[in-house]
Amino acid sequence: MNGKYAVLHLSALMLLSGTVISCKKDNRPVENFPAPTPARLEVPGNLPKVADDADNPLSAEGIELGRILFYDARLSGNNKLSCASCHRQDIAFSDATALTSIGVSSKPLHRHTPTLFNLAWAKSGLFWDGGSKNLESQALGPLTSEDEMHQDLYELERELKAVPDYVKRFKLVFNREITSTDVLKALAQFQRTLISAGSRYDLYIRKVPGATLSSQELQGLTLVNAKCGSCHQGELFTDDGYHNNGIDANFPYDLEGIYQGRYRVSFDPADMGKFKTPSLRNVMLTAPYMHDGRFSNLDQVLDHYRSGITYSATVDRALYQNNGNLGIPISQAEKAAIKAFLSALTDDAFTKNKKFSNPN
Amino acid sequence: MPQRIIFKKMKKFLTIISLSAILFTSCSKDELVAVADGAGKTTLTFDATFNGNDFALNKDFALGTKTFNFTKFRYWVSNVALINAAGEEVKVPGSYYLLEETGAINLVGVNNDNAGTIYPATKREDVLLKEIPAGDYKAIKFGVGVDQKYNDNMSLQSGELSQLNGMTNVSWMWLTSYIFTSATGTVKEGTASKTLKVETGLNANYKTVALNLPQSIKIGSSKSANIVINVDLSKAFDGIDVMATPTVGASQAAVMSAVAANYGGKVFSVKSAN
Repeated sequence: MNGKYAVLHLSALMLLSGTVISCKKDNRPVENFPAPTPARLEVPGNLPKVADDADNPLSAEGIELGRILFYDARLSGNNKLSCASCHRQDIAFSDATALTSIGVSSKPLHRHTPTLFNLAWAKSGLFWDGGSKNLESQALGPLTSEDEMHQDLYELERELKAVPDYVKRFKLVFNREITSTDVLKALAQFQRTLISAGSRYDLYIRKVPGATLSSQELQGLTLVNAKCGSCHQGELFTDDGYHNNGIDANFPYDLEGIYQGRYRVSFDPADMGKFKTPSLRNVMLTAPYMHDGRFSNLDQVLDHYRSGITYSATVDRALYQNNGNLGIPISQAEKAAIKAFLSALTDDAFTKNKKFSNPN
Repeated sequence: MPQRIIFKKMKKFLTIISLSAILFTSCSKDELVAVADGAGKTTLTFDATFNGNDFALNKDFALGTKTFNFTKFRYWVSNVALINAAGEEVKVPGSYYLLEETGAINLVGVNNDNAGTIYPATKREDVLLKEIPAGDYKAIKFGVGVDQKYNDNMSLQSGELSQLNGMTNVSWMWLTSYIFTSATGTVKEGTASKTLKVETGLNANYKTVALNLPQSIKIGSSKSANIVINVDLSKAFDGIDVMATPTVGASQAAVMSAVAANYGGKVFSVKSAN
């Protein structure tokens, strides 16, 4: 059928059918509630661009709702724990504990609380093994786990619906009554705004007038790029990837594979013992280190990379020297310079930013 | 709003109905598509069976040298599409359905363990497909499980998808995904008895089933149709040594893929269509 013929037929049939259905402008029911105010992430110039999440568009009111929920102990089963109980702003939303036992069951967790910042760029999964594909789904883990917040999702909805302010806020942001899925969305919106890029290093790299790094710090920057940069790369100081950094020889299948790292998610033998690369930003604030918090300070971490790498089949190639030996050569002077530079990655503006603090 | 009607090719004759559909799809994406004149309904019945017998809970079923007895059989059906006489797919919007036969489920480890957080005993085999454009249909397609977009993001809702009905649990939440299929009970062989828990999930195991109808069926405002799918659960265990692997889940990745392949290729067949 040629195009012209089709068009003729179309017009004829449209006339014949008599009622031509018009396109309505908006199918949302008319409500007395105004629409939420669209918001965008403010990304400092040295960070990569970030795409909006079409499935959970940011709004000013959604971000604020997420912030209120983040600090609300109603989210836990015993109404004593909020997200902020394990994610403290003053230490870059980490918890200063290797394996915390402040959860509802009082049992120690099996993995260390991760930091929360620059999550808008975390595109390869959340948790140390990336088992969660996005921030929205991620929240279900800690919310429901009996060793963490142990919340009943029906009870969560009931408790929030009993608060008129929440009813109003959820209605405004999501245009419906409170659901646990919208709790996830609001929390994710707030967490995406947690951008840390205001350290002395950032001011220096953005050529803010007066911003300087000392010669030792600059030497440390060069060393970090050369010796750590294959994983802790770019302006985010993480490749958002998974690596076996040689801290264990064996990865037993216990606790549904929790010690097997990325393998638990991908079932690819090449991923055995690999865990997510954490950012070096704010690293001075976020001890202890590793997925189980086994190293209590940075000296232990640097000594591990220098002389403590344990062999297993999936140890990252970047941890081998040209002569085939394991470990990254680091002199004492270099270690001091690296630590000096890492201190320049501490972002006080972030840890003190009122927009991220408890609103109450 | 997903585009409801996708045209693969233009045929010689355009009906008024398909014409309207073209007009609708020219509207902006947010547009709610009005119901086309003459749209009809179809009941889709998923008739659970086991090796030729009607499926029931707490009943012994023989299969070779083994005896199965089930406490639960649940699975997601999603992205249902009917194929019309011209070979075009008519997608059913928001088609995510939980088919099941189960006793009461304590939602411990799903929503946690508050009194009252019990999923009630349910038997559900029928799905009503509404607003199907009038026409002749010759085949049906559907997914077993939940497609990647929704499986990866539990904050998104469509159809009956919910993280509150026990087709997720905490260990699956660490992998944030739905349980696609779940069959639990016991299996016996000789004097050996094992607790059976065979579940599938993960994006790679989302399967699309395409089935031709024995003859074309007519759907329209004056004619409701009924398609009956035979769901032979025994086929899910084809080639699986359930005595050796009575628990199948994410940690038994290879066996789980084999079970998922059975759901994709063997479990479902068309019993009748009229």
